[in-house]
Amino acid sequence: MVSLELIIQQIVNGVFFGGQLALIAVGLTLIWGVARVLNFSHGALFMIGGFVGFFALKISGSILVAILSSIVVVFVVGWIIEYALIEPLRDREEFDISSMVITLGFAIFIENTILVEIGSSRRAFPQITNAAWEVAGISVNAQRLLIFLISVVALSLLFLVITRTKLGLAIRAVSQDSETALLMGVRPKRIYAITFGVSAALAGLAGVLLAPLFAIYPSVGWYPFLLAFIVVMVGGLGSVRGTLIAAIGLAVIRSISMIWVASETAMIILFVIMIVILVATPDGIGGWISG
Amino acid sequence: MQLFIIVLLVGSWIFIAGYFGIFTFAHVALYGVGAYAAVLFVGEFGVPPLLSILIAGVAAMLFCLPIAYPVLRLKGAYVGMVTLAYAEIIYRGTIILRDVTGGPTGYTNFSPLFGGDQLLMYYFVVSVVVLLMIVQYGFLVNRFGLVARAIRESEEAAEMLGNNVPRYKLSGFVIGSAIAGVAGALQAYTLLIISPPMLQLSQMIEIMAMGIIGGPRMIGGAVFGGVAVFGLSEMLRDVGEVRLIIWGALLVIVTLFFPNGLAGSDFGIRSRVQELFDR
Repeated sequence: MVSLELIIQQIVNGVFFGGQLALIAVGLTLIWGVARVLNFSHGALFMIGGFVGFFALKISGSILVAILSSIVVVFVVGWIIEYALIEPLRDREEFDISSMVITLGFAIFIENTILVEIGSSRRAFPQITNAAWEVAGISVNAQRLLIFLISVVALSLLFLVITRTKLGLAIRAVSQDSETALLMGVRPKRIYAITFGVSAALAGLAGVLLAPLFAIYPSVGWYPFLLAFIVVMVGGLGSVRGTLIAAIGLAVIRSISMIWVASETAMIILFVIMIVILVATPDGIGGWISG
Repeated sequence: MQLFIIVLLVGSWIFIAGYFGIFTFAHVALYGVGAYAAVLFVGEFGVPPLLSILIAGVAAMLFCLPIAYPVLRLKGAYVGMVTLAYAEIIYRGTIILRDVTGGPTGYTNFSPLFGGDQLLMYYFVVSVVVLLMIVQYGFLVNRFGLVARAIRESEEAAEMLGNNVPRYKLSGFVIGSAIAGVAGALQAYTLLIISPPMLQLSQMIEIMAMGIIGGPRMIGGAVFGGVAVFGLSEMLRDVGEVRLIIWGALLVIVTLFFPNGLAGSDFGIRSRVQELFDR
């Protein structure tokens, strides 16, 4: 018999997991919303973040340095992807497909380069803290709580930048109409590159934050990518708010369904939800919220 | 033999993606469905092996129907997304339904075609592949192919000219998927084992890479892409993952510099290749 406590426990786990998922998914949705790129290398960026954090931690011994260097390095990688790979395709008729293919190509390239250079072994990332509390019969893991809080802070910062700053205004302008934005003195190319960098940095941050939970290896990014992919589809490509809701909602559904079924089956449930929602409304949940 | 089957698979993907503009990720999963259908009907119900190859085609056809509705309604990258999700469902399904499919270890409870006569098998595979490539080519050189290309360029315009666009797209998707199913059955009889990794996303990416590198807008691109990439990866077999690095790099380079794939691009052979294939 499934107890109420177990269900509440799974809901708590789900919300924590949803925070991590949101961190990955928001980057994915952001770059689609602004630059119309379905970035198949998002998982690879996550992986790079993990590796950079791993080596930075090894050298410096400080977790803060590890996190910061991941963010910076992956931001630069995202910036380069935009300039070197995406920009030349922008005038193509089938831009959405070409950009999807090219980021996929990049992901395969980088993943296997690292595989050959560094090897496929799983590297354990030290736990940040081992503390755990028991609150009314529900166990709360301090590390997961901390990761959740960092995600919330990072996403709130992003939200503030987008809604309150001049840069955010420029990003919103470009996402709505890049040509008019150009006329108003905004340089879309730069905005695309910055957005790509920020989106990548979020993936990198997620990579290093989740490293203690996942361990790090070259193909580590694919599973989070697939999950984020579902979240983004359900939330509505390009809708940050829809993505946040979908991340928490789907993570909770996943956690609760895992009381009864294996994680493979839980994944299938999520995929089915995604297809049904995409068929019902191609804009996802975000389409309902905004109108 | 492997090479022929892969050319067929790449060709049927190009048939769907290159001609109808339906950028499907479900192709390899449907190929897997064909493979499982064929060997399960033989192994569990004692269906004659040759008949099972037809069953494979029908099974892939039936399995593509649930996803056909969104595929007809959505466009471009969105098609990629739903088909990717569908492919993952099928892939994970083959692992979960281990009582039927043998789970991760695969299914081997079936006998080879022609009592294991390798030479006969070889001729059989080659003739089926050639026949099906000709069939696809046949579809594409007449009115059907013209409408398909019109749909790829602009659905609205094709619709306005009085073509039933959904019907054409559906037939293209179904035909291509059925052929993938047959390719799957042939592969199963060649390898004599079938297991979930055959359906994985990475396999799909390999097939796509071949199609894109070869030339996604012509059925002949499948031959080119298949031979070039498969040949390359056979040559590089000893160096393992390095070949994936090269594929990734090729995918990037080809997308950047050769939008029509290698076979469709401006080398000396271009005009001749195109005369042959891209009428």
